[in-house]
Amino acid sequence: MTTPTQTVETFLDAFARRDVDAAMAVVDSRVAVTVHPFGLDNRGAEALRTVLADLVRAFPDLMIAVSRVITTRDVVTALFKAEGTQSAGYAGAINQEKHLDIDQAWRFVVTDGLITAVDAYWCQAQLYRRLAVKRYDEIAIA
Amino acid sequence: MTQTSQRPRTAESAAAVVTEFFDRYRAHDVDGMTDLCSMNAGLHYVPVEIWGKQRVLRGDGKVRTIGKPLWTGLIASFPNLSNTVHSITSNDDGDVVVQADIEGTQQLAWGLITPAGKHYREPHLFVFHVGPDLLIDDITGYWNDAGISQQLGHNEVD
Repeated sequence: MTTPTQTVETFLDAFARRDVDAAMAVVDSRVAVTVHPFGLDNRGAEALRTVLADLVRAFPDLMIAVSRVITTRDVVTALFKAEGTQSAGYAGAINQEKHLDIDQAWRFVVTDGLITAVDAYWCQAQLYRRLAVKRYDEIAIA
Repeated sequence: MTQTSQRPRTAESAAAVVTEFFDRYRAHDVDGMTDLCSMNAGLHYVPVEIWGKQRVLRGDGKVRTIGKPLWTGLIASFPNLSNTVHSITSNDDGDVVVQADIEGTQQLAWGLITPAGKHYREPHLFVFHVGPDLLIDDITGYWNDAGISQQLGHNEVD
């Protein structure tokens, strides 16, 4: 039986390799997905797969550098930096080939070896600042 | 021989310290919040960054030099500032993870945001560490500053 920490480390290792399928292999099909910067609150593996795939597609050289993994019972919180160079539109921002580096915190709930809930936190102001977006109401205008 | 009656640090006692921290925050008791932290407690408010022409100021330092002025300023700008704690999980090593909403109605300028009497409510994730002396020795916070800006009617990224 894998521990909650091992399950999340498997997910993060796969995400760092940009292997979305391998990451999703440890995710429950009914996972609750909340991505606070997007206002996304959904249920189902496809919702999380889309979040991961969009990031990998927009930043093909994506690097995930995990600084801490904190286990508190069945909750595992990972602190990491996501870094990469934009090569496609992302979160409404057109591609200006800017470099992104953004600190994030993802809180996972693990049940019976599968991730059953994810809450992702990062600052969209930092993201837009790095992607040279000037206004929240004109995200696609450089 | 000196004996101490202090409670041992457990997952439960560490969580109780952090619960008290948010109670005092809700009561706008900044000195009381600081009293729950060790003298040299670290503070890392990840979204806080102010880009100048030659340097970037970050919300990265100590509770007493960065945290206390930030909390005091926030309460001055949002006199009805409050928090709702949704979850607290902890372990015997003193790690405490908190999901909380922070909310308030703006009455004074906050950073570059001029007051328009608007209200914000934004989800936050905090990672605390509570030392063996049951004092908080580290606080890290994550939230979406863009969400706060937009709710307050400020649409410029910088």
